[in-house]
Amino acid sequence: MLSSRCAAAARPFWRSLATEATAEQSTSSRAKKIKPRISTAVILNRAPILTRSPTPFEKAYYSYQARIRRSLHNPFPNDFYFKPGTLLETRFNLEERKREHRAFGPGFLPKEDISEEKRLADIAAVEQLAQQEGEGEELMPRVHPSDTNGDTKSLDRQGQRNLYLLLHTSEQGKDVWRFPQGGVAKDQFLHQAAQRDLLNECGDKMDTWIVGKAPHVIFFYKAHILAGQVSPVGDHIRDFAWLTKQEIQTRVDEPYWNTIKDILSDF
Amino acid sequence: MSSSRAGRTVMRHALTRFQRPPRIFREIRRHPKTGLPQPPTKVVTREFAPCRLEDHYHTTLKDDLMYMTYTHEVGERKPPRQIRLKFDPEDPYTKHRYNPPVGGSQLGKKPAPPSNWDNVVRLEKIQLHTMVKEAIGSKNNLLPAIMQLKALSGESFQGGGRHAIEGVQIVKGKKSVGGWVRPGIPVGAKVDLKGPAMYDFLTTLVEFVLPRLRDFNGVVLPPASSSSNTPATVSGVISFGLPPNAIGFFPQIEINVDAYPKLYGMHMHFITNATGIGAQDRARALLSGFQIPFVRR
Repeated sequence: MLSSRCAAAARPFWRSLATEATAEQSTSSRAKKIKPRISTAVILNRAPILTRSPTPFEKAYYSYQARIRRSLHNPFPNDFYFKPGTLLETRFNLEERKREHRAFGPGFLPKEDISEEKRLADIAAVEQLAQQEGEGEELMPRVHPSDTNGDTKSLDRQGQRNLYLLLHTSEQGKDVWRFPQGGVAKDQFLHQAAQRDLLNECGDKMDTWIVGKAPHVIFFYKAHILAGQVSPVGDHIRDFAWLTKQEIQTRVDEPYWNTIKDILSDF
Repeated sequence: MSSSRAGRTVMRHALTRFQRPPRIFREIRRHPKTGLPQPPTKVVTREFAPCRLEDHYHTTLKDDLMYMTYTHEVGERKPPRQIRLKFDPEDPYTKHRYNPPVGGSQLGKKPAPPSNWDNVVRLEKIQLHTMVKEAIGSKNNLLPAIMQLKALSGESFQGGGRHAIEGVQIVKGKKSVGGWVRPGIPVGAKVDLKGPAMYDFLTTLVEFVLPRLRDFNGVVLPPASSSSNTPATVSGVISFGLPPNAIGFFPQIEINVDAYPKLYGMHMHFITNATGIGAQDRARALLSGFQIPFVRR
């Protein structure tokens, strides 16, 4: 299996497509007809689970645009949304003053026309309301422990990026990093073979969904992991890792990289 | 540790906070009537926050949709068969005459354009539309519907200095329907959503409203026997409606639902760039990627 895959990968991409059979026929016309061995591979993807952090330029751009928006917006219909004198209105006004202060600086807003005692009482009341509503809970950090300790098996690592499953296998005495793959039995559809090969190598302790029914590039199938985790099956699989596109490049050999690099998402 | 954190905060404030207004060298023109300063350039607002659903489209959905809807074609397509000769284009008599296609309109019979990176199905706009029957008797009854659409969409006429944004528009009758609708009388309201506002609306719909609807399993698909080349199926538009009680689940409305005399149900049209045979299926694949459920009856 490996040899056929490597042979296909070493050739330029278009040669690994459907013309393979005719090429072999022409070279070994006298010898026995060798049928090309078809195998399917699954590119198992963990889609981003966090929103992308904006770059410093994007941050500056967004806050500039938000300031323009704030200064141009229609007047807010206070009396339509709040009954006058309610705690909700007080909270909204306090928060709105804070936002204006942040947007246009300390000198922008005129001083409030209320006594200092009233102002402090308002702030205390709003704080009490926030406590009752359970606000102020800490957000989860955007960096997972697996990012700092280099655990490539965790599905929580690199939350902003697309991750792909790569298996560390030993095939014919060589150590190879590759996608989960396997052969196709007779009378079996390619996408069913891909699903079965994935289960054969990675265990059935995860939920996956194979995108579409047409193979990606002759025998690669994109799939999403929906739940669970990989549990390698068989002795030939030593290890596995969830990696970004750039990390995959450092592990696989060059011909393999050339065939798969355009299938993977840059970010 | 604390000094580095303070450094980062200073850095963030330098990027995001208002620093110092630019010095004004020349006197700013003022509006003769209102006396308000007139900016020398046209001020337009653009995206002011990253958009989660749009990112999701670009990182995951676009890939998957291109892959799922791809049809392989070898070489260029054959030009459509010429059934009969056209008018001679050099003949001055027929030069500008309309040359009708044989077999009538080809709408609904044209194949989808060849799959490529540029025409992967994407959401172009969402139109919200509500018809208010009572408005035929009295225009005043249209006001709650307009306010409802305004609260849902946040759009106003030429909002943010963008001339293409029309805000909430009033729909007027076109034809005379015996004893009911007359041409020119207001019968409803509609609003178009594009860009970040569109994705914000979609997020609210999918995360706050649809999960709270009782007895709602999904948007019902047409039966398999239905025709595949009607104008509706080849135009890449998905439409469904929400009843009046579902409108109250939108957080923008829920916060002061008492302020509305009555809530009106509405139709939502999700307009995509898909065209040709099978366009509606591709549009459905896109919407189900945005977590709108579809079910067979």
